[in-house]
Amino acid sequence: MSVQVIFLLAFGLAAVWFGIVVFRTHSMVRSALALLFSQTAVGAMFLVMQAEFLGVLQIMMMATEMSIMAIFMVMFMMDPGGLGEMDMKHQRKLSLWAGIIAFGGASGLALFGDWGPIATQIPDAGEQVRLLGIELLGRSMLIFESAGLTILTAMIAATSIAVQPPHRPKETPDKSKEPYQVHNHGGAA
Amino acid sequence: MSSFVLIASLIFATYGVAVIEEWVSTNRLRLAGPLISTLRLLGQENILPRKSDRLFFEVGPVLLLIAALLSLAVIPLAPGLIVTDLATGALFFNAALAYVLVAMIMAGWGPDGAYGMIGGWRFLGQLIAYAMLVVMPITTVAMRAESLSTIDIVNSQEMLWNIAYQPLGFLLFLFAGMAMAFVPPFDLPVASGELAGGVEAEYTGVRLIIFRLGRMVLILSVSSAIVVFYLGGWLGPFGPDWSWSMIKILGVAALMLSGGRMLPRIREATLLAWSWKLGIPLALANIFLVGVLVLVVPL
Repeated sequence: MSVQVIFLLAFGLAAVWFGIVVFRTHSMVRSALALLFSQTAVGAMFLVMQAEFLGVLQIMMMATEMSIMAIFMVMFMMDPGGLGEMDMKHQRKLSLWAGIIAFGGASGLALFGDWGPIATQIPDAGEQVRLLGIELLGRSMLIFESAGLTILTAMIAATSIAVQPPHRPKETPDKSKEPYQVHNHGGAA
Repeated sequence: MSSFVLIASLIFATYGVAVIEEWVSTNRLRLAGPLISTLRLLGQENILPRKSDRLFFEVGPVLLLIAALLSLAVIPLAPGLIVTDLATGALFFNAALAYVLVAMIMAGWGPDGAYGMIGGWRFLGQLIAYAMLVVMPITTVAMRAESLSTIDIVNSQEMLWNIAYQPLGFLLFLFAGMAMAFVPPFDLPVASGELAGGVEAEYTGVRLIIFRLGRMVLILSVSSAIVVFYLGGWLGPFGPDWSWSMIKILGVAALMLSGGRMLPRIREATLLAWSWKLGIPLALANIFLVGVLVLVVPL
């Protein structure tokens, strides 16, 4: 067994372990960061498999994304710190079956899928970046740009829904009866 | 030999940044200052707050230090004086520093204290402001070098440094880098005058030493990146290459730490508004401009 395979297994196990931690903890923040480290381990697996750009990109993107998810969890959950020992598992039977079917499907695809000829020579990391750039600006450009535009549209739509109208007509003119007032100053982060 | 020189230079530079930091914040130059502070903190009681998230509390400062050290791994001080020359070096630098955010959230959340928590989440807001302004100027630097390798980026500046070739990108990257290293005026996550130290508030003793060391290495890493991306890295008229890197890096650190203090602290919402409404259009214009320059005047 080569060193590469050992590292691949180690990072794979780490990814699975952190994935389990996501559901074993009571704290939403711990759960979000466990998911982050699971994804980071997947990024490390890409690095071991000499897909340098993909690995670094995965490690970079996940840090920000999972942190943003964590703050949304803190904002929307009543017990984000898990002091009330909240259970992370819901709809157990459904999730169990969904998990088994998804695992079976993915394993079946991995084992019996036609992967084409196996690459015997891996281009060096610099060449990989160049080839990826050519791919993104060639054959995959339309798909890539469509995905980008869709995400942008969703972002603009979500922001416009979230922004409060600046001059909302007040229902009760008597200010003393209002429990609190909301001003739109752009909101503190 | 070269790895010894590399490690010694990095330790020296980190200490230098700490001396400059103390100098600009207290207006007193004490060469033994950081050493005395460290000894003082070593004698301090290691307080563990009640009901803390112990794991996050302990891991936060260590992760900050590790992320900053990892980002230094792709910074060349001279040809051959680099930990690892990755083909995706410029991207890796950014990937490593993304974990500064994770460390700040952990360190802010861990102690279960209001000031720390506000500081930690504030840094997330700050990241949303600066992240694009770090990545987009790096894109233009890589466009000119036609490579993401930091060594290639320095070599591409042999004729003309990037600060002259793409000054707009330099300014954007400088401000974004300052926000990334949370130095004044972007020090809201640890604002001592307002949040009693923010993320640092609940840390004492050895944990505070690790946190502050991590921050010094982070400032060093950002200054080094500015030097590599915009100030020609090790390129200089005479003398050994590494000495030019060191002079430039410490100069940039001094500029960031002293210059920032002359500006008022920027509120998070204002920073976000400026970054997205002014910064990102400017960064996009810079990409377009440099794209045309690279095609028309390839220096």
